[in-house]
Amino acid sequence: MSADPLHVLANAGKGQSTRTVLRVIILCLIAAAAIASRLFSVIRFESIIHEFDPWFNFRATKYLVANGFYNFWNWFDDRTWHPLGRVTGGTLYPGLMVTSGAIYHALRTLTIPVDIRNICVLLAPAFSGLTAFAAYLLTNEMTTSSSAGLLAAVFMGITPGYISRSVAGSYDNEAIAIFLLVFTFYLWIKALKQGSMLWGALCALFYGYMVASWGGYAFITCLLPLHAFVLICMGRYSTRLYVSYTTWYALGTLASMQIPFVGFLPVKTSEHMPALGIFGFLQLLGFLDYVRSAIPGRQFQTFLWLFTGGVFSVALAALVVVTSAGIIAPWGGRFYSLWDTSYAKIHIPIIASVSEHQPTAWPAFFFDLNFLIWLFPAGVYLCFQQLADEHVFLVVYSLFGSYFAGVMVRLMLTLTPVVCVTAAVAASSLLDTYLSDKSPNPEEYHPEDSNDATSKKAPKAGLKSTNKPVVGIYGFVSKGVIVSAMTIYLLLFVLHCTWVTSNAYSSPSVVLASKMPDGSQHIIDDYREAYQWLRQNTKEDAKIMSWWDYGYQIGGMADRPTLVDNNTWNNTHIATVGKAMSSSEEVSYPIMRQHEVDYVLVVFGGLLGYSGDDINKFLWMVRIAEGIWPDEVKERDFFTPRGEYRVDGEATETMKNSLMYKMSYYNYNTLFPPGQAQDRVRGSRLPEVGPTLNVLDEAFTSENWIIRIYKVKDLDNLGRDHASAAAFERGQKKKRPAKRRGTRYLRTE
Amino acid sequence: MRWLPAFLSVCFAAGSLAAKKSTEVRFKEYHAKSLSSTPVKLSDASYRELTSTPRDYTVAVLLTAMDARYGCQLCREFQPEWDLLSRGWIKGDKKAESRLIFGTLDFSDGRDIFMSLGLQTAPVLYLFPPTVGAHTAASPEPIRYDFANGPQTAEQVHAWIARHTPDRPHPTLKRPINWMKWIVTTIITSGSLTAAYVAWPYVLPIIQSRNVWAAISLISILLFTSGHMFNHIRKVPYVAGDGRGGISYFAAGFQNQYGMETQIVAAMYGVLSFAAISLAIKVPRIADPKAQSVAVLAWGGVLFVMYSFLLSIFRIKNGGYPFSLPPFM
Repeated sequence: MSADPLHVLANAGKGQSTRTVLRVIILCLIAAAAIASRLFSVIRFESIIHEFDPWFNFRATKYLVANGFYNFWNWFDDRTWHPLGRVTGGTLYPGLMVTSGAIYHALRTLTIPVDIRNICVLLAPAFSGLTAFAAYLLTNEMTTSSSAGLLAAVFMGITPGYISRSVAGSYDNEAIAIFLLVFTFYLWIKALKQGSMLWGALCALFYGYMVASWGGYAFITCLLPLHAFVLICMGRYSTRLYVSYTTWYALGTLASMQIPFVGFLPVKTSEHMPALGIFGFLQLLGFLDYVRSAIPGRQFQTFLWLFTGGVFSVALAALVVVTSAGIIAPWGGRFYSLWDTSYAKIHIPIIASVSEHQPTAWPAFFFDLNFLIWLFPAGVYLCFQQLADEHVFLVVYSLFGSYFAGVMVRLMLTLTPVVCVTAAVAASSLLDTYLSDKSPNPEEYHPEDSNDATSKKAPKAGLKSTNKPVVGIYGFVSKGVIVSAMTIYLLLFVLHCTWVTSNAYSSPSVVLASKMPDGSQHIIDDYREAYQWLRQNTKEDAKIMSWWDYGYQIGGMADRPTLVDNNTWNNTHIATVGKAMSSSEEVSYPIMRQHEVDYVLVVFGGLLGYSGDDINKFLWMVRIAEGIWPDEVKERDFFTPRGEYRVDGEATETMKNSLMYKMSYYNYNTLFPPGQAQDRVRGSRLPEVGPTLNVLDEAFTSENWIIRIYKVKDLDNLGRDHASAAAFERGQKKKRPAKRRGTRYLRTE
Repeated sequence: MRWLPAFLSVCFAAGSLAAKKSTEVRFKEYHAKSLSSTPVKLSDASYRELTSTPRDYTVAVLLTAMDARYGCQLCREFQPEWDLLSRGWIKGDKKAESRLIFGTLDFSDGRDIFMSLGLQTAPVLYLFPPTVGAHTAASPEPIRYDFANGPQTAEQVHAWIARHTPDRPHPTLKRPINWMKWIVTTIITSGSLTAAYVAWPYVLPIIQSRNVWAAISLISILLFTSGHMFNHIRKVPYVAGDGRGGISYFAAGFQNQYGMETQIVAAMYGVLSFAAISLAIKVPRIADPKAQSVAVLAWGGVLFVMYSFLLSIFRIKNGGYPFSLPPFM
């Protein structure tokens, strides 16, 4: 019996049940930290949906909650892509909306009154807590160290690479998809380790959920077969692998085909072919395995050769026939751009225009992962120590993930889980070694027999560095130095994550914030101001034309039909808008009339210095339009003869006459003294005389001129064209060619 | 008297050169020329003649500068594609149903034309639409092909010409089979297969070695995470001058980098990882207490200093970054 409190404290962590309680508490705290660090934007601004895509998801969720599941599934939306409409129910990943709808109804059943918007805003932080837990489970499958899982959970919870896509309000597919990704991997490892059909089926179930939630499911579809393939190549084929893989593939593919948007893609497109191929390959291996146990060795050799040759030639012939007959589609454009990185640039400007498809520079890696980035290779190296089946998975995932993260900024998200897991393995191995209170006795050290020991048992298969037996750390100083250094790194990591989250990833981008000279915060709310204006001052079915970036926001916030939006399914329609924006008024007006456009919305940052405006995106509009009408829109015409993209007095005629230019700078020079008008984004002085607009009327300009809305004029009452009508209004008399009278002559007939 | 017809025909030929020939005659003449060798090599005079109005046929002329003196890389790259395109077209259209003639005017043969057109750059591809006849275009002005996006392939130009010559046959473009490439590929494949078969017993231990695979994995991870793919895709310069005669190793800005910069970063990550691996795996296996404590302090020091350096580099890239460690504050 010791009442000594120190002693009690020292023994606290020893018992099994105390440890479990501690773990649960720690995991709960980690989840709380993960959620808390994602709430910056809610506290600073308000509970608001961010950016672009989330607005569509939010709108779809509201539709689901209001109209029920079956109406949602068959939803044809005639308020986007006017006049085509969009089969929304069949062209989206419904997982996210269904999840929040289910939570909404569950809470309603529990008589908790909650607004659907708050569920949508807080869904991503809530799921980040679950992701941290999934990372904990996955890491525990990899190592016996008890601290690694908890470290992985912490890393996963607060690393900016994941926070970037899951702050409160960022109501996007990735919000739940990363949890599903990590959890599917956990279930896969579990199934593989035990060779269990139950775990395999669970893995397929979550895979199906993942397919329903995010297009990035192809990452799993490619990674699991790759893992199986590597295992087979290493000579590690086993019935465990057979059972788990076939269960996952058969059930998972069936599950994924239930999503209308995916449909028959899993048996048709090339990115799903590796999974199918490995499935077939495993059947062959299973068959051979069986035959080997049934017939004698010599006959088996002959059988093997004949069988392999036969199967190979049949498969090759089938592949050639099927591909040439066009049953298997060629590589999908978005996916193909991952392999041949110059492909997208040449062939698909709309892909190249999306900033998420840009490659990743090194600062982005450090920014998103901090010190995990250098613990990551160390953790991968530690995986090579044991190299069981699950470690092979980590290695394969690391290589695959880091390649794709390097090619495309957005896929940093899929790399983050493996970085957290491997870095946690490395960090916990460091901490376990240097925090252990057991030290070897220095007096037991005999220099002469140490050489014998190594030469005797040098395992051949293992790593070179692990040939010698583990001794342990002798001195207290050594331990203290390393442990305190690690503590500093971990603290720095927490500070870094908080700083990055607070500064880089917590802006809703619908509301902009700036600092006043005295340090107080100034909110720039032009977007919502303009959308609210549209909502209140225009007809219910007034069609708004804008560049596709703003389509979802107009649909979500202003509730007005749009021509194009962020679901870029119809390139021609987008190019039509691009052409209308980049052509002169005479060309644009018929296009706008044909599409029943009532209002045109442009984003202009020249007054405020807001660089994400339409003039800066303008070249993409031109390029996309040029892809469809190469004779009418030419990118070359928008550059000066010296190859510069200019908006000032030296801009080309095509540029000055384009509708976008006119709409952006219309009346802009009235804000300044004559000749002083300046564009603060491009840093150039504008010509003294601003552009004139004949076919549009300025309808609304927001406080900081970020959003400008124009009304398309109706046809002229007197049947004149708009240019002459406007000239008449301005009081310019139409110049008539002066009648020249002929010399008079006398008729003499 | 057998010389008389010959003499007469020579006279007529000379006479017809001097007089303005009709469009039909011109087309027949140049089509016959292009059947023997296409694209037709033009000079000042023949260029003027071929493109003179009225014409009831289409002319595609490449104005190029092949002479090595002018150092026109693009011209030399495009020339084989142009030859391939015109040969394929003429061969597939022997009856001249598309009424298209391909011509090439080199700068050394047609200096005056270049001057009169005010051309500063080469190559330039003009398509002269017909001004009379069934396919008359709206404007007699030639259409210029845009070479702005670097070297063009025959397929792209074929599509462009086909677009501007509607409702006429467009002979399909077929690239000749590159026999040499096939032979070389076959030989190399069989050679490497043989080599692999012979070397197999020696290679197998390397393939099965965990150390080799660990090294490959770590090196590729370091390459990918230090932005190598960015260099590959964006084709960034290796280093750049800083404007004062020195070299700047680090590009300004978060979204930008140089080739050497990524190598430095990869090396730093490598050192940091290696220090972590040593501390985690190697150091606990050192049986000598003194050597061990020295190793701990050494690797711990390397780790700390290198991380501090990495943070200081990152502060160059990201101006507002507030964190740092000594000694590189």
